[in-house]
Amino acid sequence: MSARGQVVFKDIWKKHGEFVALKNVNFEIEPGEFFALLGPSGSGKSTTLRILAGLDAPTAGQVFIDGKDVTGADAAERDVAMVFQSYALYPHMTVAENISFPLEMAKMPKAEIAPAVFDAARKVKIEHLLDRRPGQLSGGQQQRCALARAIVRKARLFLLDEPLSNLDAKLRLETRVELKKLQRSLGMTAVYVTHDQEEAMTLADRMAVFMAGEIQQIGTPEEVFAKPNSIDIAGFIGNPPMNLVQAKYQDGDVFLGGHKFETTMQAAGSRDVVAGIRPGAIRLGGDGLQSRVDLVEHLGDTAVLDLDIGGALMRVRVSDENVPKEGDTVAITARPQDIHLFDSQTRMRLS
Amino acid sequence: MKRLRTILLLAITVVFLLAWAFPIVWSVLNSLKTDKDALAYPPKLLFEPTLDAYRDVLFGSGSILPNLLSSMIISLGTTIVTMVLAIPAAYALARLRFRGKKFTGFYVLATQMLPPVGIIIPYYIVLRNIGWIDTYQGIILIYLSFSLPFAIWLLVSYFEDIPYEMEEAAYLDGASRLRTLWRIIIPQVRGGIAVTVVFVFLNAWNEFLFAVVLSGNTVRPVTIAMFNFVSVEQTLWAKLAAVSVLAMLPVVILGIVAQKHIVKGLTVGAVKGGGRR
Repeated sequence: MSARGQVVFKDIWKKHGEFVALKNVNFEIEPGEFFALLGPSGSGKSTTLRILAGLDAPTAGQVFIDGKDVTGADAAERDVAMVFQSYALYPHMTVAENISFPLEMAKMPKAEIAPAVFDAARKVKIEHLLDRRPGQLSGGQQQRCALARAIVRKARLFLLDEPLSNLDAKLRLETRVELKKLQRSLGMTAVYVTHDQEEAMTLADRMAVFMAGEIQQIGTPEEVFAKPNSIDIAGFIGNPPMNLVQAKYQDGDVFLGGHKFETTMQAAGSRDVVAGIRPGAIRLGGDGLQSRVDLVEHLGDTAVLDLDIGGALMRVRVSDENVPKEGDTVAITARPQDIHLFDSQTRMRLS
Repeated sequence: MKRLRTILLLAITVVFLLAWAFPIVWSVLNSLKTDKDALAYPPKLLFEPTLDAYRDVLFGSGSILPNLLSSMIISLGTTIVTMVLAIPAAYALARLRFRGKKFTGFYVLATQMLPPVGIIIPYYIVLRNIGWIDTYQGIILIYLSFSLPFAIWLLVSYFEDIPYEMEEAAYLDGASRLRTLWRIIIPQVRGGIAVTVVFVFLNAWNEFLFAVVLSGNTVRPVTIAMFNFVSVEQTLWAKLAAVSVLAMLPVVILGIVAQKHIVKGLTVGAVKGGGRR
């Protein structure tokens, strides 16, 4: 499959009257990439996808697909396929008719349609359901039918708007893996909207994190996890999310609950900061901050402790061996590179 | 307690059924009687059935066949023009957002509240001035003024039930707006269209008041022709009943055909979890 499906978003704004839905959004997607648009609801990720699909027009800015300016082009002219959150299957048509509809619209010769439909159905394992109607399918099968309809045409771009959110938890995990395999084997460029950071982390090659209509960070899941750009992203990514506490910074150290933690920052001076430490990066024991265990949650192979550090909450993930009991006092430490510092005013990353 | 409820419900059903069935049974029975039997008092339940009345009204001197044809042309014409105009209009009304949208719904209902007698004279004058009295186009035009708003109003609710994403999916699949309407939207409102067709046809078929004023000797629907059997001196009950039964048939057939399309729950399971509207 040829590498196509390059996307450029240039200075995109979207306003609904006074309300600004998108503020100067810029990003590029490389051909063949699995790109996630991640953010809480109302952050602008779905609007971005709709502008890319041609279902909404931006107030300002330009959209390019494979180098061509498509800003004013209709959805039908863009050669993009989409899986909707609701699947939007055509209820009066059979599965086969649903899948063949985009081919018919593309005026593919009749003789070629049937094999193409079967091929697409086989890729998502619904080739035995071609004669059914959407109403006779289970949720998972409907989802696959929507996928087949989107991949059958071999469009430039494959857009997915929270495609897994209507499946139950187990099916969601299975489908997630299959989706990734499917995208890899077809070599398609996929743009995936989700509010589930775990989905974005596992599926995406790169992702753009949206907060209140702006992209706050673009990077690989590893980069975003390791170096979140802002307090909002730090608190949004990771499960349980990063601990974020008010602290005092002085000459390279940060003071948490009266205890000194070394950081990688070297600037001299003193200021108020927000310090972030991931629950999994905190170690127990040694010469650390003394704190009381308020609650222990056993999760099987790990446990999450709620610690009280001078009135603030700190959550720690520990392996299931030697878990302290509720009411115990433990000492906690963290490596300098695991302590993230954020400006408490601008909420942006300092270190 | 539950038993009592069942009996009560059954009793109510029977009462309604009798009230509903009585005129039809009466018409069918009388249409098979001779005029003399029909006038007998107390009504004869046992009589020798005859098709004389049917033979008379169909092939006699005052055959109502041309009138049935007239009714058919008027009703089909009204229905077809109404649907051709109402479907795109209802679709647009269901989708577009504009100020005063709620008010248009009320306006449509208001046109149905208007007592027909109140506007019959103006209608007559308008038609006379353009020379359309006693013409098919004249009657159809007048019927449209009632059926079109009603059909649009009825269809809008069906179109509104179709999720917007369905159309967006079709656009992304490469379909134009018109094609989306034809291939994706209309098949899903089939049930609503069938209901509307039945209502519009039925209203046009049964209309009497406007027809009696605006028609003449050229265009004479069966409802008017039927009236000929009622006169000051006598009422030809058997013939009147026979015409009634004949006039009922097309509507009954239409109802049966339409019923096949009024499939409930066709859209169930097509869209998961609601989504954006």
